[in-house]
Amino acid sequence: MILILKALISSSLAGLLELDSVQAGQFLLSRPALVGPLLGALNGCVLEGARLGILIELIYIDFIPVGGVVPPNGVVAAAVGVLAHAWAGVAPSLAFFTGLLAGGMYSFVEHRLRSSRSRRNGVIETEIKAGRERLHYWIAGALLGESAVVSIYVFSFSAAVVLAGGIFQLETFTPAMNFAYSLMPWLGLSGLYFRFRTQMYKRG
Amino acid sequence: MLFSMFLRSFFIQAGWNYERNQNVGFAFALLPALRKAYGVTVPLACPALLPTELNSIGQKGGACSALGGLSSFAKASEEHGPAKLLPSEADLSATERFSSALLRNLGFFNTQPYMAGFILGNVAKMEEKLAAGPENEEAIKTAAEVKQALASSFAAIGDRIFWGRLKPMTTQVCLIVWILGGFYGWLFISGREMPSLWLIMLGPVSGVAVYSFFAVYWRWKGVKLGFECGGASNCGLEAMNWSRFIRRLSVLGFSFSLMIVLAAFALSTAFNSHMRPGPDLALRLGLPLSVLAVHRVAHKSGRSVFFVIGLILSVSLFLFWALKLKPFVL
Repeated sequence: MILILKALISSSLAGLLELDSVQAGQFLLSRPALVGPLLGALNGCVLEGARLGILIELIYIDFIPVGGVVPPNGVVAAAVGVLAHAWAGVAPSLAFFTGLLAGGMYSFVEHRLRSSRSRRNGVIETEIKAGRERLHYWIAGALLGESAVVSIYVFSFSAAVVLAGGIFQLETFTPAMNFAYSLMPWLGLSGLYFRFRTQMYKRG
Repeated sequence: MLFSMFLRSFFIQAGWNYERNQNVGFAFALLPALRKAYGVTVPLACPALLPTELNSIGQKGGACSALGGLSSFAKASEEHGPAKLLPSEADLSATERFSSALLRNLGFFNTQPYMAGFILGNVAKMEEKLAAGPENEEAIKTAAEVKQALASSFAAIGDRIFWGRLKPMTTQVCLIVWILGGFYGWLFISGREMPSLWLIMLGPVSGVAVYSFFAVYWRWKGVKLGFECGGASNCGLEAMNWSRFIRRLSVLGFSFSLMIVLAAFALSTAFNSHMRPGPDLALRLGLPLSVLAVHRVAHKSGRSVFFVIGLILSVSLFLFWALKLKPFVL
C-alpha cells in the first residue's frame, strides 16, 4: 500500500516537474539527472535514481527540441525507471531500458496533446472577438492538462511493469540487461564528446 | 509593465500547438503592454456589443463579469447605475483596437523561448507606437514583418546557445562535480559505494544554477533591450557578439567533454588495475572504445542513438540469454 502511495506521489511530482520542460519556466528542473535522484530519494533508492537519471540524460543528449520536434521525454523516462525499480522491483538495468522506452513512447502522447491544443486557437479568437479575453484560463488549462497526462502516464506505465513482473520471469533477462546497461555510460559519453567535437569542426 | 512581461515570458511555451506554436504564450506575455498601450486596464468589457446592448447588460448587473473577470463595466454598473454606462466612441475604439492588436499577436509565432524577451519588448514598443497614432495598415504590416524576422533570427541564435551548448554543458557540470566529489557510481554499474545525498544532488543542481543564470539573465535583458530599441528590424541582434559567444561556448564545452572522457578512461583503467594482463582486461578496456566507434559510425550514417541501443541490446540478449554465457559487466 505504501509502495502504491509512493508511486502516486512520485507520478504527481513527475507531472509537476514536467511543466518545467516545455510549458513553464524551463529552468531545467525537469532534467533526468535531477528527477532521477529526487524520485530515488523519495522511493529509497537514491543511488540507482542518480545513475538512471544521468544515463538517461546522456543518452537523450542527442535530441534537441527545436521547432516542432518532440524529443523523448526525460522526466517520464527517469520517473518510470525509478518506479520500475522501486515499485516493480525489477533490476536497475531493466528499469533503465523500461524508462528509455517509456520516455520515447511519450513523444506520441505529446504529439497528440499539441495537436489537440491547435483546435483551441479558433475558440480563443472567437472569444476575443466577442469581447472576452481569457488567455490566463487557457494557459492554466494547458498546464493542468499536461501535468495530469504525464502523472497518469507515469503511473500507468509503472503499474504495467509491476503487472508484467508478476506474469513473466523478467529476471531471466537480467544478465543480458546488466551487460548492455554497463555499456550505457560509454554510449552517453560518446554522445557528449561528439556533440561538441562536431561543433568545433563546424566552427561554431 | 516590463517586469510583468518578463514574469509572463516564463510561460511563453504554455499552450504550444502545431498550428501556431507559441502564439498563446506570446499573447499572454504581451498582454500587460497591450493593456497599457490601449488604455484597457482590466479584461475586456464586451466591446463587440452595441451601446444599447451594453446598457441592458448593465441593468442585469454586469453579465460581462462572468466572461472576463470583474470588468470595469460591471463595477461601473454598481457605482453609477446603467444610465452612466454608455461608453464614449473613444472608449469603444480603444477596446476594439486592443482586441484587434491582441488578435494579430495570436498569429503564428515561434522562437527560442529564452530569447523571446527580445521580440516581446520590441513588439510592446511597436504596439505602443501603433496605439499612439491613428489606424495605419502599413505600420501594422511592418510590425508583423519585424516580429517574424526577429523571431527567426533569435531562434537561430538561441537554439545554438541554449539547446546546442548550455544544455549539454549542464550535464558536464554535473559529471565534473561528481568526479571531483569522488562519486563514480554513474560509470561503473557494479559499484556499490554510496556517496552522500548532498553530493548526488549538488551535481545536477549546480548545472541547473549555471543554466538558469543565463536563461533568466537573457529573458530580462531581452525584454528590456527589445523595448528600448523597439521598431528596429535588427533590435537586440547587436546586443553582443553572438558568434564569438557561441564559439567560446563550443570551445569550453569541448574542453569539458574531453576532460570528462579522459577522466572516465583513467577511472576505468584504475578500476581494473588489479587485473592481470589478458583477454579479460583487454575486453574491459576495449569495449568502451568499441561503443564509441559504433556510435560514431551510426551517427555518421544518420542513425539515432536508439539504433545503437537496439544493437547493443540484441547482441547482449544473444550472448547472455540465448547462448547463456557467464554474466559479465564492465
